[in-house]
Amino acid sequence: MPSLARSGSIVTVGDVSNIGTGQRRRRRPSGEPPPLPHELNWAAYSWLIAFVFFSLLWVWIFLSDRPAIEITEWDLVVMRPIVDLRTDWLDPMMQWITAFATHWLNPLIAWPALIAALWFRRIRHALLLVATLSLVNGTVNLVAARILRPRPLGFEIIGDWEGFAQPSRTIANLAAVAVGATLTLVPLAHRRLANAATAAVLMVVSFAMLYSAVLHPTDIVAGATVGIAFALVLFRALAPESVFPITYDGRKTAHLDVDGARGEAIRLGLARQLDIDAVDVHPVGLEGSAASTPLRIETADGELYFGKLYARTHLRSDRSYKLWRTLVYGRLEDEQHFTSVRRLVQHEHYMLHVMSDNGVPVCEPVGIVEITPDREYLVVTEFLKGGVEIGDVEVDDELIDQGLAVIETLWTAGLAHRDIKPANLMVQDGRLRVIDAGFGQMRPSPWRQAVDLANMMLVLALGSSPEQVYERARLRFSEDELAEAFAASKGVTLPSALRRSLHQDGREVLAQFREMAPERPPVSIQRWSLRRVGLTLWVALIAVAIVSMFVSNLGDVGLR
Amino acid sequence: MRVPGTGSRRLRRRHTAWAVATLLVGGLVGCSVEQTLPPPYCETSGSGLIVAQSVPSATQIPCLADLPAGWSVSTVKVNEHHSVVTLDSDRAGDGAAVLRFEDACDVSAAVSTPSELLPAERYDAIEQVRPSFRAERFYVFDGGCVYWTFDFDVGVSATQSVAIGDTLSLVSRNDLQRSISETFLDEEI
Repeated sequence: MPSLARSGSIVTVGDVSNIGTGQRRRRRPSGEPPPLPHELNWAAYSWLIAFVFFSLLWVWIFLSDRPAIEITEWDLVVMRPIVDLRTDWLDPMMQWITAFATHWLNPLIAWPALIAALWFRRIRHALLLVATLSLVNGTVNLVAARILRPRPLGFEIIGDWEGFAQPSRTIANLAAVAVGATLTLVPLAHRRLANAATAAVLMVVSFAMLYSAVLHPTDIVAGATVGIAFALVLFRALAPESVFPITYDGRKTAHLDVDGARGEAIRLGLARQLDIDAVDVHPVGLEGSAASTPLRIETADGELYFGKLYARTHLRSDRSYKLWRTLVYGRLEDEQHFTSVRRLVQHEHYMLHVMSDNGVPVCEPVGIVEITPDREYLVVTEFLKGGVEIGDVEVDDELIDQGLAVIETLWTAGLAHRDIKPANLMVQDGRLRVIDAGFGQMRPSPWRQAVDLANMMLVLALGSSPEQVYERARLRFSEDELAEAFAASKGVTLPSALRRSLHQDGREVLAQFREMAPERPPVSIQRWSLRRVGLTLWVALIAVAIVSMFVSNLGDVGLR
Repeated sequence: MRVPGTGSRRLRRRHTAWAVATLLVGGLVGCSVEQTLPPPYCETSGSGLIVAQSVPSATQIPCLADLPAGWSVSTVKVNEHHSVVTLDSDRAGDGAAVLRFEDACDVSAAVSTPSELLPAERYDAIEQVRPSFRAERFYVFDGGCVYWTFDFDVGVSATQSVAIGDTLSLVSRNDLQRSISETFLDEEI
């Protein structure tokens, strides 16, 4: 196992053994890309540049008539041959396409996309779709009301239209809806086909609108630019594929795909940064993990490591979780969220070291691998070879004592684990090991320490009996401490996985512990403060804003 | 150790961020994305050209002068069939006056009245004066017509219809065509 000393991070004064060997120092030189560079999406940026171009053009048109005249002259020259194609048999078809696109096509694509997004619990995508349409419509209205472009002059207009011509509201909405629906529903592997279909629909509708003399060519290009640019940029920025992949295999969004480019990047990062020559990296124990992607890493010489891959989605989960707790319970403890993935992994890695230094049997930390700067990191620890989850073994007195000793050690060191649940307690060769120190805290409140004890006793009782665990606990903890633990334990204090296990067990384990422990009034977990009131009002305001925007804009974007 | 002053600066920054965020959210709520076409004002171009395009057969195009005090434009809708301007009044109520521009009007129930907007012929159809004023006023010309629909709140004087009605003017399509040819493109509207 590579150690910090081996990795060259710790070099004593006068230690020159690594000079010239080129082996220990693994600093990434300036200019060399990280394992998985954060790539700007060329398509999104190309459309954004096109939007900037049109924005400048609109400002110019607003300030002077000259460009408007020249562009319109050019437009009329381009569209004249198309209008000249008019025949008695083609007219009704083009009129029908124009009317259908103007009145029906948007809701026909947008509503199923919205319903499907909500069905598959892609709330973020559903909101983004509506937000995109709102922004597109807001922009179209703002620009159209400034540049006041009429419908094509010099032709008989034979199709349906409404309002000013540029940028085309119909084309902008259609492009935004089609691109948004694609990014909401279509897996990456099938995007090319969906994009081709979008392009085909846009081309047919555009041709019909030019034929009907409803729009100029530049109205169509401007509308498509607004719609596509906004949809691509918003979805790429706020629901990137790497973090919110569109899949239909039931995978949790917290679990990232480690195949392809990311898998390669993980192997490269492990080799470059921790000198680990990984030949196989694959997810392990996904069902027990909701806040990261756990990985089993195997090297060429058969060594195993455990990795936890963190990305920005986990940062958002952490933020939402802490916000929710603050709203529902007040500030029970430190609810300050992490502001970057880097800080989150630094905290976990540091807590592993602190716990390990204090004798808590955690997995030995190996290091942190930077996959994408500030976006994705891998926390690497030893792999518990042959380890099984505590829920899968019979819990005897020896194991109960080890579990209680873990809490005693944490208390002595002034630490709290804060996520004691079956999935975080492993048994390896009869030895209890604690994993996942991400929620760990130094100098926690007495309430938090009491909760750790209660949760540990509950987990141990699931594999044995409450009486057995309580008897062993009395050997280490006072009656007062046990009473405090179960007075502090309720609802929010139980990790959801532990709550589920208790529910499945069906023995009313918590109630049995409460009966055995001396009576003590429950510890109140409601904390009221001005901050909590303000935050609640603020969140309510945002919720009202989102719902209001959602509802009011449904009509404007043709969905109501 | 805390560096003196940094705490309050950080606090100020945080408060500023919250204030900006609140304004943004407020802006999102308040900022409707309703299609807000400018009205066809006579002095400025506004939506005059597309209003003309909405009824290509009409020889006269309606436009509005400055609105009387208390009146404001609520919505303007222009499409391939017609143009509709809805006006709100602080006394007569929301949507108290609606101006429509179409290719034809049914004036069978209205009575002919001397027109102040020549060459249009005027027809009035007063449904009721009390308790609330409800009426229609038509201006019919070759290829089209413009008409007001008044629906005032109870107790509001019918003279309000005169005040808002006086803001309407008609511009001949030929004059508009000449102006467009001189200032923009020599193409038929």
